[in-house]
Amino acid sequence: MLVALCLLGGLMSASLVRLAPGYGVDERELDPRLSQASVEAIRNSHRHGSSLLSYYGQYLAGILHGDLGSSEWLHRPISSLIKERFPVTAKSVTLGVCLAWGLALGISLGSVYRRRLFLDIAGTLASGVLIALPAAVVAIFSVYFRAPAFLAISVVTFPKLFRYSRNLLAHAYAQPCVLAAQARGIGQTRILFCQVLPLAGPALFALLGVSLSMAFGAAIPIEALNDSPGVGQLAWQAALNRDLPLIMNLTLLITLITVTANSLASVANERISL
Amino acid sequence: MSSRSKLRGVCSAILCFIFAVGLFAGAVSPYSYAKQFRERPNAAPSASHWLGTDSLGRDLFARLAYGTRVSLLLAPAAALLSTLIAGVFGGLAGLLGGWCQRLILAAADLSMALPLLFVLLALRALLPLNISPVVSVMATFALLGLLGWPSSLRVVWAATKNLRNSDFLLLARATGCGRWRMIVRHVLPNLRPVLLAQFCISIPLFVLTEATLSMLGLGVMEPLPSWGNLLRGLEDLSAIGANPWRLSPLVLLALVVICFQLILPSQEETA
Repeated sequence: MLVALCLLGGLMSASLVRLAPGYGVDERELDPRLSQASVEAIRNSHRHGSSLLSYYGQYLAGILHGDLGSSEWLHRPISSLIKERFPVTAKSVTLGVCLAWGLALGISLGSVYRRRLFLDIAGTLASGVLIALPAAVVAIFSVYFRAPAFLAISVVTFPKLFRYSRNLLAHAYAQPCVLAAQARGIGQTRILFCQVLPLAGPALFALLGVSLSMAFGAAIPIEALNDSPGVGQLAWQAALNRDLPLIMNLTLLITLITVTANSLASVANERISL
Repeated sequence: MSSRSKLRGVCSAILCFIFAVGLFAGAVSPYSYAKQFRERPNAAPSASHWLGTDSLGRDLFARLAYGTRVSLLLAPAAALLSTLIAGVFGGLAGLLGGWCQRLILAAADLSMALPLLFVLLALRALLPLNISPVVSVMATFALLGLLGWPSSLRVVWAATKNLRNSDFLLLARATGCGRWRMIVRHVLPNLRPVLLAQFCISIPLFVLTEATLSMLGLGVMEPLPSWGNLLRGLEDLSAIGANPWRLSPLVLLALVVICFQLILPSQEETA
């Protein structure tokens, strides 16, 4: 699946870059100081990847050698741009997702396991209001309140995680095996770890990859409006400057991370089930 | 009448009212969304400008009403497109099974792995930035409709697969019911609640995504208003304390999304 995704994602990236209007046009051709021979040399350098398949072949070969091409806007290798910017986003996303998961699971468990009505109402109201705010508005509020980017990411990710996790836990608690265990007088903590979490676990693990995808998506407006020098801000600037090679490589990178996280979550889930 | 039904009734009435204001924006608002009152920039609410004016002296109520038309008429159109794609391909995968099902589900899995906002940015970057406002509206919502189908497809596929294995379809097949008749008379009516739920779920999602795209300068272009580019007025949050009416686009957007969330059928009802 991962290999197929890489190949298909790569083909999509290459196709979009190759078919984009303006591909192969070089501003230097318009420079009156250049001789005809120099202009012809520039044109020849662009003719190598004239057909889609040969362009794709070159693109794949480049990826194998760690060469993701060059940014048309910044005139720098894409791999070095990613190396510079990715750690910033990775840190924000990791902290944001951990905080959102912690809050979502904490409040869900509090409302379902401890049966605290106040927590249930507060969590539902908070998630209902936060889910109605666009990520860009959350980013503006985070700038105003000088909150770090990871906090804004957790605010965007939390409502969806809370809703799913609360429903999953409530559904697990309503299963006959849990009711039977409760009727037999087994302790609540034992029921939680031996009955409820194994029932809700697979779906919660499946949410892990989705939450990463959501967090990376939220990172675009948050980093763009927070002026945080991460991959999200780079993607936004690449879109504004129509730098297709850069934005397609970034999309591919985030897709690979999401799919890898999903695969790891599946493997971990299988191990735990065994 | 249960409290849930009452709440749904209230939410539906609010949504209908907001839809009507957007639809009849020309009649409701005395000014055009682009008309400038250059002598009155950043004016406070008054009898002539109910929500005041923006920094360019344009009537905020008129822009909000026309923006509602853009956001609330095109988001359902995009939701219809994505639900249609999900319905056709999810239905085909569920009914036909085999390689067709594997192919369609693989495409859906691939699309679901791609982060929506990154793909939207990439596809939007293919278009020039200086396109006309009307083209920008069409492009934004067409992209949302064309990219928002994968999760709906999975739901439709699961529902169709359940239907295919149901007793009443087996009975219909045993009585010699043709394939098309079976689809039209038995499958589609049973899929209607699922498709309707997916349609309703997609609308607030697309409204929010359009808002984010427009706030980033990649959605609906000025001077055409949409909730997204009206929210760009929030970038100067320090001025909000003195001019709280500038929060009106955000309040309206949040109200619409919350109403949509509340009228959606709950999981138990869908089951």
